[in-house]
Amino acid sequence: LTLVDWIVLCGSLAFMVIYGIVRGRKNRDLEGFILADRNMRWWTIGLSIMATQASAITFLSTPGQAYTDGMRFVQFYFGLPIAMVVLSVTAVPIFHRLKVYTAYEYLEGRFDLKTRSLAAFLFLIQRGLACGLTIYAPSLIISILLGWNLGITIFVIGVLVISYTATGGTKAVNHTTFLQMLIILVGMGAAFAAVIAMLPSGVGLGDATRIAGKLGRMNAIDTSFDLQNRYNIWSGLIGGFFLAMAYFGTDQSQVGRYLTGKSIAQSRMGLLLNGVVKVPMQFFILFVGATVFAFYQFVPPPVFFNRVETSKIASSEFAGEFRAIEEQHLAAHQIKQRHARAFLDGVPGADAALIASAAEVKEIRGQAIDLIRRNDPNADTNDTNYVFLTFVLTYLPQGLVGLIMAAVLAASMSSTSAELNALASTSIVDIYKRLFRAQGDDRKMVLASKLATLFWGAFAILFAEYASRLGSLVEAVNILGSLFYGTMLGIFLVAFYVKHVGGTATFIAAVIAEIVVLYCFRYTAIPFLWYNVIGCLVLIAAAIAIEPFTRAGNARQT
Amino acid sequence: MSGGAGDRPAAPPPAEEPPPILGTWRRLYGFVILWLLVQMAIYFAFTRYFS
Repeated sequence: LTLVDWIVLCGSLAFMVIYGIVRGRKNRDLEGFILADRNMRWWTIGLSIMATQASAITFLSTPGQAYTDGMRFVQFYFGLPIAMVVLSVTAVPIFHRLKVYTAYEYLEGRFDLKTRSLAAFLFLIQRGLACGLTIYAPSLIISILLGWNLGITIFVIGVLVISYTATGGTKAVNHTTFLQMLIILVGMGAAFAAVIAMLPSGVGLGDATRIAGKLGRMNAIDTSFDLQNRYNIWSGLIGGFFLAMAYFGTDQSQVGRYLTGKSIAQSRMGLLLNGVVKVPMQFFILFVGATVFAFYQFVPPPVFFNRVETSKIASSEFAGEFRAIEEQHLAAHQIKQRHARAFLDGVPGADAALIASAAEVKEIRGQAIDLIRRNDPNADTNDTNYVFLTFVLTYLPQGLVGLIMAAVLAASMSSTSAELNALASTSIVDIYKRLFRAQGDDRKMVLASKLATLFWGAFAILFAEYASRLGSLVEAVNILGSLFYGTMLGIFLVAFYVKHVGGTATFIAAVIAEIVVLYCFRYTAIPFLWYNVIGCLVLIAAAIAIEPFTRAGNARQT
Repeated sequence: MSGGAGDRPAAPPPAEEPPPILGTWRRLYGFVILWLLVQMAIYFAFTRYFS
């Protein structure tokens, strides 16, 4: 990074932290600390919801996914707007009228204490681990690309987030995530403008799109129904709907955002804003990645984007072989570049030649990856997460690099702060106050909430420091969520809609559903997006089936 | 707040506040779904055109 980049980066980070601390002052009671005095407007809630979901992983991996796999990932979000409508109709009015502090608090009134505690524990396990990954994933990528120390990067991000989340609570989180979302949008818009400006002379955005489309990167919609195909319109609509219902309806890191609404209308509008903006935003981020792909049709990309792995092989016994592959790759790329130009000029047969030369380049890249694996069987051979930042660091002008790094860190901080805030809220409201029956005035409870934020922040930092590689980072976080989300969603759907089913039947059904999901994860090839559907449906069916037996048991006892 | 939400009586449902745009919630929900369908149609056409 140049001095200008450092100034932009450090200035943005300092502003975010100070803004969070200032906006989070004057939390007199627990309602202020956890629910921001229920005083938030819909645009703050909406952008805060979006920033909480859009972690740095979204920002780093999504363009890389478009580069390697095309735009079909956008389908993953098709169920989200439908879920926003359903939650606005059902969950928002219920949570508001009962004036709950957490989503799990509602479950005790509807079922019993054990169901509330189960849901709270599932959330704490899942989100506690995910929070570590939210810090670890961008830190790993940034440290590799910039040569920073991974441990220090994790520590600095973690401490910055803890500083305003622990002092200012939900108010600080909502206001900073709003600001961070704006920085993310500006950063992504600037990156897109820069990619277009970087395209070679005579190649416009339309040309770039045509080339990316010809090489299979504009595959936004796949209508085929295939359970083995991770992203198609059906998995997006059905699996995506269940995932979004679970995430926005049962995950306190999101529920906590819209519980702060001044009214039911404000909370609903916040959710619906997300429903309107989320899909086009994801499409846009993917489109940036596809444009970066088009850019690299005219400028030679590295044969492999992860510099740590290429450095390792460059100093190994395979160094000569790898250099030869790099030279082959460069030569093949030059041929492909000529075909790309010919394709844009409308030369007959150039499209077939372009596709053939792209396949040749891909095959050579495959040889490089094989060699990396031969050199180190544990090497990380998925470089999707490194594509976009490599482009940014190599080609973008100074100042803009700092802005995009600030946007990446803003994305990481926004998700992490919302997660820490939710973990602290659940720990205090559902565990400390409820299970341990802790007593005390509001000042004591606010202090306990701050300490809980510190504890979870320290836990996340420690987990991030020891996290091992988990394949594609996007999927790692999603898989982790999907192991529990189906069960969580099932519990809430039974609570909302199956009124005759009680707590004991729901609790037993939740245990059964979780066993089924873990079985699917361990022993089947079913894609993770479907776990939410399976867990949820198994739970609802099991709860309805078990309910008569538990009722008969209760009748015998009385 | 210390117990479950069921420890206290639920507040009576307040009169439904209308959304700031489109007049009714039903219309706003319809708009969100329609917007999704329009996007899917656009992305479908986009995929077909550029592939």
